[in-house]
Amino acid sequence: MAVAILSLVGAFVAFYLLAANMGWTPPVPCGSGDCATVQSSKYAKVGPVPVSGIGLAGYVALLALALAGLQDRLGRSRLIPFLLFGGALVGVLFSGYLTYLEAAVIKAWCRYCVASAIIITIVFVATLPELKRIRRGMGA
Amino acid sequence: MKNFYIIIVAVAVVGGGVLYYAMSGGTPTLEPVELGELDNAELIELAQPAYVFGDDDAPVTIMEFADYQCPVCKRFGLFDKPQVDAEFISSGQAKLVLHDYPMLDLHPHAFLAARAARCAGDQDRYPEYHDLVFDTQEDWSPMASAAGYFKDLAAQLELDTSAFNSCLDSDEHARVVSANMMLGQAFQVSGTPTLFVHRGGPPVYRLGGSRFLDVKQAVESAGDEN
Repeated sequence: MAVAILSLVGAFVAFYLLAANMGWTPPVPCGSGDCATVQSSKYAKVGPVPVSGIGLAGYVALLALALAGLQDRLGRSRLIPFLLFGGALVGVLFSGYLTYLEAAVIKAWCRYCVASAIIITIVFVATLPELKRIRRGMGA
Repeated sequence: MKNFYIIIVAVAVVGGGVLYYAMSGGTPTLEPVELGELDNAELIELAQPAYVFGDDDAPVTIMEFADYQCPVCKRFGLFDKPQVDAEFISSGQAKLVLHDYPMLDLHPHAFLAARAARCAGDQDRYPEYHDLVFDTQEDWSPMASAAGYFKDLAAQLELDTSAFNSCLDSDEHARVVSANMMLGQAFQVSGTPTLFVHRGGPPVYRLGGSRFLDVKQAVESAGDEN
């Protein structure tokens, strides 16, 4: 349940970043946070795809998986916890790389990107208990 | 389980509301601001603008405080300003008076970029250098030192590189850029770009992080007042 709620929060953060990247939000002057520097750097896109779009897709996928795992029919599936764990792990690694870029290469911090990195880390931690429970069940 | 769905719907509603506010709430309400009288004659004399785009006698003044390393200034300079040019400057209705406001704590190369643009201005090529510095911002912004890059840009524009390089290597224009920063501080500029739109006196409209439509509204309002 925590994974679903946090993924939804993460999706909103990622959507806001995507909207800012695409110019759907009013421009925020420099000096009121340095998101603009991060968002306009060459690292803000992978090819033509904004990184925030990748983040949004990831959060939506995690949300969908978490909600599916709560359904009676799929509740006993062992696949879903593994998929949630794997997806969150990829998210944490990707966020870690982006945070490194902010710190060491772009040298500017976007608070929304940092918020997303924290959220995905908590999502990852939240996937662990279910995974442990399944592994214990498999060992028994 | 029922509680879970209540929580997730609540998060969705609150999150949606915050997003809606963030995406629409930036449209400025155009209210005149008090700039106050600057009684520091020395500062006014020293804080000469980097460049005046348009006719000096144009009735409406758009005073911009800009930072060359600020991506929002880049967006304004390369995307919105050409629209302002086409609609108001080329027709003689307004002029854009560009002042430097490098934010040193955020943008370590902004002061040098402001000086470099003024060095290009010494050779009457300020507008071209202005556009090129903004256009290449992503390349030089993360560099440890941008001086060599700014010299390359001057060469690219076929400026007199010897004169440009000696200007950049000296402290030429440092005092006037600093005075521009002090002028911005006197006008309580806290971010860039900040624009003040007026017709030589009150009312003065202040815009931050502006888009063309905001400037258009301010210019038309300033024009209507007299």
